[in-house]
Amino acid sequence: MLHLRPENLLVQKTLTEAWNANEAGSPLTLDRVISDFDYTTLHVSNSPDIKSTLFLSIKTKAWQSISQCGNGFLEHLESKYAEFPGITACQPEQGFDYTLSVDLGQIQPAAIIQLSLLKIHAMSFAFQLAFDEFGQLSQQAQDPASFSGSDSSGTVRMLQYRDDENIFIKPSNDRITVIFETFFQDETDKVFGKVFLQEFVDARKRNRSIQSAPQVLFSHEPPLEAAPFTSSRKLDKDRRFITFVLFPRHFQTPELQFSSVCHLTLFRNYFHYHIKCSKAFMHSRMRYRVDTFIKVLNRAKVDEEDEGEQQTRRTITGRKLVY
Amino acid sequence: MSQSLRPYLTAVRYSLQAALNLTNFSSQVVERHNRPEVEVTNTSAELLLQPMHISRNEHEQVLIEPSVNSVRVSIKVKQADEIEQILVHKFTRFLEQRAESFYVLRRVPIEGFSISFLITNKHTETMKTEKLVDFIIEFMEEVDKEISEMKLFLNARARFVAEAYLGEFVY
Repeated sequence: MLHLRPENLLVQKTLTEAWNANEAGSPLTLDRVISDFDYTTLHVSNSPDIKSTLFLSIKTKAWQSISQCGNGFLEHLESKYAEFPGITACQPEQGFDYTLSVDLGQIQPAAIIQLSLLKIHAMSFAFQLAFDEFGQLSQQAQDPASFSGSDSSGTVRMLQYRDDENIFIKPSNDRITVIFETFFQDETDKVFGKVFLQEFVDARKRNRSIQSAPQVLFSHEPPLEAAPFTSSRKLDKDRRFITFVLFPRHFQTPELQFSSVCHLTLFRNYFHYHIKCSKAFMHSRMRYRVDTFIKVLNRAKVDEEDEGEQQTRRTITGRKLVY
Repeated sequence: MSQSLRPYLTAVRYSLQAALNLTNFSSQVVERHNRPEVEVTNTSAELLLQPMHISRNEHEQVLIEPSVNSVRVSIKVKQADEIEQILVHKFTRFLEQRAESFYVLRRVPIEGFSISFLITNKHTETMKTEKLVDFIIEFMEEVDKEISEMKLFLNARARFVAEAYLGEFVY
């Protein structure tokens, strides 16, 4: 498994089960809490009155910072589900940020996939605002009459998606800059992370076939775009800043926008997942190596069988005689 | 094997063969005790022999400390950069946690070395001495090879992963 899928498989599986059971005429009784990356929790439960109606609630660390990014967050989420019948937003469940009510009698399999993408859709709001602002800025830049030179950069939006890791998104008139602020708790992860990040930076230069991928930069100091947010905080030296520079070709159509957002929001997970994978591989490799060393050492042992050959007597059937 | 590694390993082999000349020796201090003399502080000078220090360069060294009934062999594995340091540390720790199946491995390396072996007269009585020397030599060869292979693997994986991720953005 090289790539992480954007949709949450467990949500998809749970909803498909519920949908199948409902189609068969015996709706399931459900109360499941499902976890996703970055401290996100999803809750699938039955409506207390009608069994064929499910509630899908989400609670995520990034919620507050997303809703501060701009107006129309809830409308954005609703618009994502507007084309699917049977899905409506309702009063958020206690302890969760957002709740959708799903009428199992009306939904289609395509809607189930969209429901499992709920977290991505929520995160995509901040990106959507940046895409919109990019459109305005590039319009302004093309029109010299209204172009005032210094006003060519948009607002920086911050997503606090983990305890102390953030994403900064900044649109300009010719590109969108996405900055990941990350830090490593483990010493080994830090060193491995350095190797991986260096390869992310170099990959584009080395491989001609991915020249059109976003440019990746990596620094220990906060880039200027993120500086206003980080200047007030005390920065420890373990922080790393990874910058992706998206060019218009990466978000020309809504489909491209969606796939770019999916990959970007999963960047940290992907990156850490592969660090863990390489550690696991090394572990199994060391295990194998230990076995070969033990074999070499066992060759040194004096074989007791050889030495005691004269003394041990055997019966006619080949059994050892014990005195 | 590279040309400069061979004389180094040959020197270690002959020194080990010379040092592995052990006899059963009861403690002079505590009655009915039989302990590896190289590991305990003792006052009698005749029990400890001259330590042998074989050094290929400042990163690769072997220290052989012989005594009347035990030999301690400490190996410093080459650690050129941060990654190799971590890999060596992980690998030696992994071995040390399995020390009981290695018989001759010391659980803690002595100061300044990556890994230590302690060979006592018990070991030379139950094992063939020349095979024990073979084991140490093979260990030294393999560890270097293993560390550099793991490092190469890490780089290759990082490259592959980065290219696969960025490849998703190519439309």
